[in-house]
Amino acid sequence: MAPSRSVADSTPPSTTSEVVENDFQPFFVLHKASSRRKDRKPTAQGKLWKRNELSSSFPQGAKKLGGRMTEECDHHLFQQLQIEAFDIVWAKIESTIKDVLRDLNAIVFNDIQKWVLECFNATKLLGEPTIAEATRSFPTLNNTTPGQMFTAFVSTRNIEFVDDILTFEELGHFLKSHGCHVAKLSSLEFSSKNGIAGCLKALLQEFLGCAIDSADISILASWYREQVNYNKPLLLIVNDLERCCGSVLTDFILMLSEWVVKVPIIFIFGVATTVDASRNILPSHALERLCPSRFMLGTPVERMDAIVEAVLLKHCTTFSIGYKVAVFLRNYFINQDGTVTSFIRALKVACLLHFSMEPLSVIHGQTLAEDQKEGKSALSPETLLKYIDELPLCARNQTVDHPTQKSMSEGLSELVTVQKLWSTAVLCLYEAGKYSRVRLLDLFCEALSQDLYLSRVSDCHVGDEKDRDLSSTNDPRQQYSIMKSGGIIGKIVCKVRDIPTGMLYQLIESWEKLTADVSEIHEKLKILQSSVRCEDGKSSRKSSKDNSKRYPVNIDKDARMLNLQAIAFLDYLLRNFLKPVEGMPFHEIFCFKNVEKLQLVLIGDPRRRIQVDLLEFHKILRCSCCSKSGNALLPSRHDSSIMYSLAQEHGDLINLHDWFQSFRTIVIQHKNKRKQNSKQSPSSKKRKDINGSADQNEASIQARFCRAVTELQITGLVRMPSKRRPDFAQRVAFGL
Amino acid sequence: MDANGNWEEDDDEEFEFSRNYFLAKELASSSAKKSKHKLTDIDVVDEQELRDAASKIEPNHEYEITLLLDSYKTMYPEWIFALRCGFGLLMYGFGSKKVLIEDFASTELTEYSVVVINGYLQTINLKQVVIALAEVLWDQMKAKQRVSHRDLPKSQQPSNSQSMDDLLTFLDQAEIEDGDFFVCVVIHNIDGPGLRDSETQRYLARLAACARIRVVASIDHVNAPLFWDKNMAHTQFNWCWYHVPTFAPYKVEGMFYPMILAHGSASQTVKTATIVLLSLTRNAQSVFKILAEHQLSHPDEGMPISDLYSVCRERFLVSSQITLNSHLTEFKDHELVKIKKHSDGQDCLHIPLTAEALQKVVLEIN
Repeated sequence: MAPSRSVADSTPPSTTSEVVENDFQPFFVLHKASSRRKDRKPTAQGKLWKRNELSSSFPQGAKKLGGRMTEECDHHLFQQLQIEAFDIVWAKIESTIKDVLRDLNAIVFNDIQKWVLECFNATKLLGEPTIAEATRSFPTLNNTTPGQMFTAFVSTRNIEFVDDILTFEELGHFLKSHGCHVAKLSSLEFSSKNGIAGCLKALLQEFLGCAIDSADISILASWYREQVNYNKPLLLIVNDLERCCGSVLTDFILMLSEWVVKVPIIFIFGVATTVDASRNILPSHALERLCPSRFMLGTPVERMDAIVEAVLLKHCTTFSIGYKVAVFLRNYFINQDGTVTSFIRALKVACLLHFSMEPLSVIHGQTLAEDQKEGKSALSPETLLKYIDELPLCARNQTVDHPTQKSMSEGLSELVTVQKLWSTAVLCLYEAGKYSRVRLLDLFCEALSQDLYLSRVSDCHVGDEKDRDLSSTNDPRQQYSIMKSGGIIGKIVCKVRDIPTGMLYQLIESWEKLTADVSEIHEKLKILQSSVRCEDGKSSRKSSKDNSKRYPVNIDKDARMLNLQAIAFLDYLLRNFLKPVEGMPFHEIFCFKNVEKLQLVLIGDPRRRIQVDLLEFHKILRCSCCSKSGNALLPSRHDSSIMYSLAQEHGDLINLHDWFQSFRTIVIQHKNKRKQNSKQSPSSKKRKDINGSADQNEASIQARFCRAVTELQITGLVRMPSKRRPDFAQRVAFGL
Repeated sequence: MDANGNWEEDDDEEFEFSRNYFLAKELASSSAKKSKHKLTDIDVVDEQELRDAASKIEPNHEYEITLLLDSYKTMYPEWIFALRCGFGLLMYGFGSKKVLIEDFASTELTEYSVVVINGYLQTINLKQVVIALAEVLWDQMKAKQRVSHRDLPKSQQPSNSQSMDDLLTFLDQAEIEDGDFFVCVVIHNIDGPGLRDSETQRYLARLAACARIRVVASIDHVNAPLFWDKNMAHTQFNWCWYHVPTFAPYKVEGMFYPMILAHGSASQTVKTATIVLLSLTRNAQSVFKILAEHQLSHPDEGMPISDLYSVCRERFLVSSQITLNSHLTEFKDHELVKIKKHSDGQDCLHIPLTAEALQKVVLEIN
């Protein structure tokens, strides 16, 4: 066969003919990587070498190349620093997320693993076929076993299947690490197009690890009886049962049930809705072949809260987000039907934009890299000054002089301290909020609100006039200010007031664990704990007296006092430590808050945007001839913009004749004026010229009309006439 | 609260949408009664004159468009940063983005190999694209090997006989020490006619998910996001969306769309037929040439399929009837040929072009 002309290895196009030729090739190589990459090494040693060379040759370089080359090198080096910073930060975040999700699923995974072993042991008790029986090309039937297969239905409780993919990948790895043979198939294999043969081929490929041309289950039976493969459970994971073709899956199950003695496969099905979903997919005679067990995974909200706790609170100095960004991400999570994967991606985009847009963010990346090497947990002024000096010129412009650098290092240290105190306070509130089913993501958003913080501070200002000690909880005004703050935090405080004493003791113990490393808060908690012990002492002393009449009343009063003291502790946290870093200097270094940019990059809205482009053409191009007139239809306006504006005047069907006449009327407005002017000096020759140009103009107008319709068709805003209605185009989009 | 404000805004948008829809329905009922004009009432100029005028349309706002394209250059560092961090770029907005994206690739991606897919064409053989990508990556690995003095396993060398899965595995798991090494795939437009089927989109998503591949694509259709589920859009493609309206005319992209005022929209022009044929294999072009030569020699007759098969066998262009049928199916799908019944009941192939046009096509594909 002759080589295909579609593969074109061309150099960068230098002539028009080459460009035209490339335009009509299905694909072509625009260019290959240049050898300049050899000069750029990502290692630190390479960077240092390059920097030294740059600094040493600066005077000479300035003479020869000027500032442009220097600036280009700076930008190049700076972007490399940006990428390294992003890689470091996101690697930490991603690792944290994986650990959290693995821990969340650990209990269920262990249960499944135990269940698998029990099923496998039960299968062994049924007896094992001989080698001769196992290698036969037909199944072995056992009267005592009607061909049932052990099956686990794992309820994922996800609306979207994308989260299930990751979960079942982890499950597969987990079970493999515990000595199981694991095959993973998706609903794509169980499609009517693929058929039962495709399923078998995919199954064999998963277990045997190589492509198999023939769909023969006896191959799997022979493979399983080999020495190294024997004595291990055979597991088949299908993560999206509800998306499988029912008939194909039924045939698959019926076939495997006949081979269950030789190939004792254990099924693990992912179910998104309810564990009874299998009844909607499989007929009863297939269900009879399954011996079901049920497992339940955590909800998306639980996973989300765990991620927020680990990434944005416990590691809040790695990467942080502003209030508006937090609210946007929360709404994004809800709008994406609780898809954790979508939230993680949004967080990654936020991280990307942070290092792309904020020059000072590079400092943070480098400090984290240094922390990894030396195990430091806090920034030191010397380290910070070192990195500021190492920044390329374009980033150094952000920091003016040495005194500013010094104040920056001090400010950063304070910033990190405040952020850690803030996160500890939020975690304490979250522990208290668990009794009122507060979601951490909601609490997180509220805790980041600068306005709410200022409101709380102003509400508590009156209380500051009095003693701040815990004993001031008797002041009804202060109690009122805490309660009236409303929102989630107010709800938490109200709940703490009412929880029983036993739960309150547990809560205080949780607070003790959370604040162990934070002395500012831990000292206050100790005071509360000492009060608790005093109250316990009082209670014991009172009980020793033989004063039965007063005993119940005293105990109730003491318990209420304890609750009020806990509220006082929370109030102390709120007033002193729940201060968002968004209002502090240098918070931009690790805090991202450009929610508008995040929304633009994360969520494309072509349906709306393309229509706005056409209707607000003048705002984008800003041409002088159209901007003044606003939305008026002028001949100078873009043809497609005119056409789409005219389309708004029609219903869902656009009469092509009317559309064309309207377009023509607008386009020839200016030319009619020209004709009127030319008629002032009539002559035979000029009349002929006018007629000729009129014909050309008519062709041009029609051509422009056709092109505009084609462009609207490309965008999908207009559908072409059908045979039934040859004179009408159909509008597709209504409203923005 | 801000959250409430956001919800209210969404409700307003929903209300506006439904209101506009019902208003359009009311307009439809009224316009259906009033407007009974027919497309044929328009005094359309000759088709050839119309096409000549279309090719000579003076560009509107050329200066402002140039300024707009220049303004996007300030975003180039952000785009290259996103690519190097593992994201894909998706450009949208009204106007052709072909010039913009290729300028970005030519200026900012010089340190990476770039392969361009023209998705606006009718036919794209995606496996051929993937093979080309694997070959480009292999060549670069060999160049690296000369530097690092490491031997590459010959069994991994990409070839036409490999399956799509094997090729994608190679692109994903190629062992290269440099972590910032990738091949960039530029797709104009990813929602084009040649790439719209779901299987192609799934393969493109898997391609984008490969560790050594980065994708820069454009979309033009308002409903393009409906191609992708969340796994594809959020995980595999991993799009960063960039709104870059250019208002540049869709010159190349609109080549295959029939002109609305031209009569007989099913007829093929020289240029369109040429473009389609050039995108086919050499054998397919040769088969078409045989048909063309026969039609030029016998203007009033179509060529019987059996005769075409005999000639193609003699010239070793096809080895079986099935192969010929696949070529003919391709021709029919692109309306290059039509089947007519001969007087004796035999199926004959006819090219719906004038003799002059057919001669031009034959010259073009030589």
